[in-house]
Amino acid sequence: MATNNDNNNIVSYICKRTVVSTKPIEPGKYMTFSVLDRCMEKNHIRMVYYYQSSSTSLGEGEFGKMTKNLKETLSEMLNYYPMVTGRLVRDSEEKWKVKCNDAGVRVVEAKAKGSVEEWLKNVDSEKEHMLVYWEDMYHKPYYWSTFYVQITEFEEGGLAIGLSCFHLLADYTSATNFLKAWSDISLGNKITVLPLFHPLPSTRKRISNHHPYFELINHYKSSIERPIPIKEEKYTIISLGFSHQMVNACISKAQFNGPSGPITMTPFEALAGLFWASISNIKGLQNGLIDMSICLDARKVLGLDYGFFGNTMIYNKVHSNGNLEGNIFVQATRYIGEVVAKMDNEGIMDLIEWLEKNEMNSPKMINGPDLICVSLENVDPYLSVFQDWLKPLRVSCYIEPVLGEGQVLILPGTPEEGPLSRVVMVTLKEDEAIKLFEDDLISQFSPTIFMKC
Amino acid sequence: MPPMLPDFSNSVKLKYVKLGYQYLVNHIITLTLVPIMLGVSIEILRLGPQEILNLWNSLHFNLVQILCSAFLIIFVATVYFMSKPRTIYLVDYACFKPPVTCRVPFATFMEHSRLILKNNPKSVEFQMRILERSGLGEETCLPPAIHYIPPKPTMEAARGEAELVIFSAMDSLFKKTGLKPKDIDILIVNCSLFSPTPSLSAMVINKYKLRSNIKSFNLSGMGCSAGLISIDLARDLLQVHPNSNAVVVSTEIITPNYYQGNERAMLLPNCLFRMGGAAILLSNRRSERRRAKYRLVHVVRTHKGADDKAYRCVFEEEDKEGKVGISLSKDLMAIAGEALKSNITTMGPLVLPASEQLLFLLTLIGRKIFNPKWKPYIPDFKQAFEHFCIHAGGRAVIDELQKNLQLSTEHVEASRMTLHRFGNTSSSSLWYELNYIESKGRMKKGDRVWQIAFGSGFKCNSAVWKCNKTIKTPIDGPWADCIDRYPVHIPEIVKL
Repeated sequence: MATNNDNNNIVSYICKRTVVSTKPIEPGKYMTFSVLDRCMEKNHIRMVYYYQSSSTSLGEGEFGKMTKNLKETLSEMLNYYPMVTGRLVRDSEEKWKVKCNDAGVRVVEAKAKGSVEEWLKNVDSEKEHMLVYWEDMYHKPYYWSTFYVQITEFEEGGLAIGLSCFHLLADYTSATNFLKAWSDISLGNKITVLPLFHPLPSTRKRISNHHPYFELINHYKSSIERPIPIKEEKYTIISLGFSHQMVNACISKAQFNGPSGPITMTPFEALAGLFWASISNIKGLQNGLIDMSICLDARKVLGLDYGFFGNTMIYNKVHSNGNLEGNIFVQATRYIGEVVAKMDNEGIMDLIEWLEKNEMNSPKMINGPDLICVSLENVDPYLSVFQDWLKPLRVSCYIEPVLGEGQVLILPGTPEEGPLSRVVMVTLKEDEAIKLFEDDLISQFSPTIFMKC
Repeated sequence: MPPMLPDFSNSVKLKYVKLGYQYLVNHIITLTLVPIMLGVSIEILRLGPQEILNLWNSLHFNLVQILCSAFLIIFVATVYFMSKPRTIYLVDYACFKPPVTCRVPFATFMEHSRLILKNNPKSVEFQMRILERSGLGEETCLPPAIHYIPPKPTMEAARGEAELVIFSAMDSLFKKTGLKPKDIDILIVNCSLFSPTPSLSAMVINKYKLRSNIKSFNLSGMGCSAGLISIDLARDLLQVHPNSNAVVVSTEIITPNYYQGNERAMLLPNCLFRMGGAAILLSNRRSERRRAKYRLVHVVRTHKGADDKAYRCVFEEEDKEGKVGISLSKDLMAIAGEALKSNITTMGPLVLPASEQLLFLLTLIGRKIFNPKWKPYIPDFKQAFEHFCIHAGGRAVIDELQKNLQLSTEHVEASRMTLHRFGNTSSSSLWYELNYIESKGRMKKGDRVWQIAFGSGFKCNSAVWKCNKTIKTPIDGPWADCIDRYPVHIPEIVKL
C-alpha cells in the first residue's frame, strides 16, 4: 500500500484559475432550485475520467498544449451553462438560488509522474482523490465556485479530467452530460444533449383521488426528521468490474418465476441484490438483510429529457421481512424489483407534491444511515471523446459524503466489454471491504479488481 | 458681470450671424480677389482686342531678360519643392484582438481580488467601487498569467504576452498591407512598463528576420502617450530617409505590472489597464499615395515635466511592503487639464480656421486691454476636425475633455466605446478608437482626425491626420464581430 509520502510526490499542482464563458451574460438573471435539488444540499459529486493520448510520444511543446486546448473548449462550452458559471445567493426566504453573474468555473492544472496505464494499475481511492479538486463552501458563498475541474497531465502519456460539483446544482446525469457537452465542443461539433433549465413537472393540475405512494413519502419524512449523523469512521472505496457475460449470468441466477411467467431483472436490480446480500452477510446477518435504500434517476419516469439540468435522483427504502429462508440473493433482488416498479410517475409526483407542501428550511441528508445502492447506468460516460483522444479508459464516480452503512454505485462499463458490463464502486469500512473480496457470492462472478483498498 | 454674448448664444439669429462671420473670414482671400478679377476682366473687355495687342507689343523683351526670369522661376520652384517636408502616409494599421478565453467579467475580477487580498476587505471594496464607475464592459481582457490565483507574473509570461500581442498585430498588418518583412526600413516599438534585454524591437526583428541594416528603436518608460511619440520619431526619420517604410508597434504589457499590494492609489491601474496592441505602417513613398488611408498633418508634443507636481502625478514606486506599483495622485485631472490647455494653445494656430483664430485673438486683446473679466474664448475645435480620438485613459479623462473642448456625445463615442469594449489599452487605445470610427463607416475622404494622448511625465501629445480615401465598411479589425452592438449605453454605476 502506498504511503502518504509517495502519494505526495506523484501529483503536483501547477496552478489554479477561473475559466469564464466566451460571451457575456445579460445581467440580472437568476435560477431557482426545485425541491429535489434542495434534498441534496449536503452532498457533492466527484468524477474522474482517464484518457490515453493518441500520440504516444510527447514532444517538448506537447505538455501543456492539451490543457490549453481543453481550457479553450471549456470556455466555449460554458456559454450553454449560465447556471454553472453563476454564484449562490440567498433569496427572500433564506433559500438558495443562483445569480447568473458570469463569474466562471475554477480550473486547477496538475501534472503526475508516470503514465496513465501505470497509474490505473495501482490506483486506490485516496490517490484518485488527488485528481479531483474540491473546496468546501466559503464563509461567503458569493465567491465560491460550485464546479471544479482539474486537468492532470501524465508526464509519460495520458490525461485525467476530474470534475467535482455541488450536488444542489447537478446530479450524476447532469454532470456526465456536462462533460459530454465539453467533449462535443472540443471535437468541433454541436452539443448533442443540450442542457435544459426548467422547473420539475407541475403538481398543480393533478387529480389526486388515487392513494398516494406513502412509502416513498414516509422514507423522505423519516430521513428529514432524523438528525444528521456525525460519524468518525474511516471508509474505503473499492471498484469492481463485471463483464457482460458475468452480468448476464447474475441476471439469470436472479430470475424467478412470477405469476405470468419468468421475470427477468435489470442489471441494476441483479447487481444491487447481489451486493445487498453479500454486504448483509459480511456485516453478520446470516439469514437476513440489513436496511437498504435504492436511488434511481427519475428523468425517464417523469417524462423529462436527459438534458434536464438538476437533480432527479429519488431515494426509496427497500424492505425485507425479518428472517429469510432459501436463496437470499434471489429474494433480495425480488424486493428491489418490486420497489423499482412502484417508483412510477404517480408515485414520484406524489413525493414532489408532498415535498413542496412541507418545505423544510434547514438542509437534511436524504442518503441516511442505510446501505445505499445508486443506479447510474442511465447515461453513458464513455461517449465523452475529446479531440485527439480515444474513449475514456476508465470512469470513476464518488457521491460524498457517505455517513451510513455504506454505498454501492453501479456504473456502466467500458463499451468494449459489452452493453451489459458494469463497474461497481463500493464504499464500506475498511475491514468489511477486505471481506468483500473474499465473499463467495461476489467472487463467483469473477470481477476484475480496478481499485483495491 | 457684463453679459453680452452668452444670453443670446442659444438664439437662432446669433447662429446665422456666426455662420456668416465664419464664411466671411475663412474665405476672405477669395472674397477680395473676386471683385479685383471682375474689375480687371471688365477693363480688358472694355479695351478690346486691338488695344491689348498694342499693349503686348509695347513691352520690350530681350533674350537675356527672358532667360533670367525663366531661371529664377525654375530656381524658386526647385527650392520650394526640395524644402517641402515629405508627406508621411499612414498606409494601414492593425489592432490586436485579444482571444475570448482571456475575457475578464466583473464578477471574476472581484472574486479573484477577494481571494488574493483576503486580508484587506477595504482594498477589495475600493476596487469594486472603481470598477463599478469605470466605464469598462464585460468583454475586456487580461493576459493569461493574471488569471491565476495568485497571479503568476514571471518574465517568461511577460515575454509570452508580448509575443502574443505584437506578433498577432504584425501578422495582421502584413496581411492587410502586403508588406514584406524585408521591406521594413525603420522599426519603432513602444512599451512603457516592460523592457527586457534584448529589447522588444529585437524580438520582432528576430521573429520576422528583418534586414540587418534596419533602424530599430525601442521606447520604454514614456507612458500612455508613447504611441504618438513613436509616430513623431517615425516622421522625423522618414524626413531624412527617402523612399522608406516605417513600422510602429504600440503596446503595453500588463503581466509584470499587476500590483499585488494594498495601497489604494496603486490599485487603480489594475482595474483599468487591459491587454491590447497595435501595429502601424507609415511610409514616405510616393507610390503609396493611392492606397494610404491617412496623411500625417501635424504632431504637437507638450511636456509639463518641469513642474514638480506634474512630474510626480503618475509615479512608479514601492509601497510600504516593498511591492512596486504605479501611484496616481489626486490632482491628475487638474494637471491633465493644464497640459491639454498648453497643447491646444500650440495646436490651435496650426489647425483652426481663420475665423476662430481671429475671435480668439480679439477676446485675448479684449481681456488684456479692456476688461479682464471677459470669459476667455474657447475656440471651437469642431470646426477644425471631424473626428476626435481621446485616449481612453478612464471615464474621468474623457468626461474632462468633453467638457473642456465642448464636444458632443457623438464626438467622444469612439473613446467611450473603446473604453467599454477593450478597457484602457494605454498607447494603442487611439488606434482602437480610430478603427471604431472606420467600422461605423463615418470616415470620409478629407476628414480630419485629432488624436490626443496623455502620459506620465506629465505629457500631452496630439497628432492630426487627414483621411486620404473614404473607407468602406465592413472592415476587418477588432470591432468586426461586435460593431453592430455599439454604441451601448454605459450606466454611471454598474451594480455588481
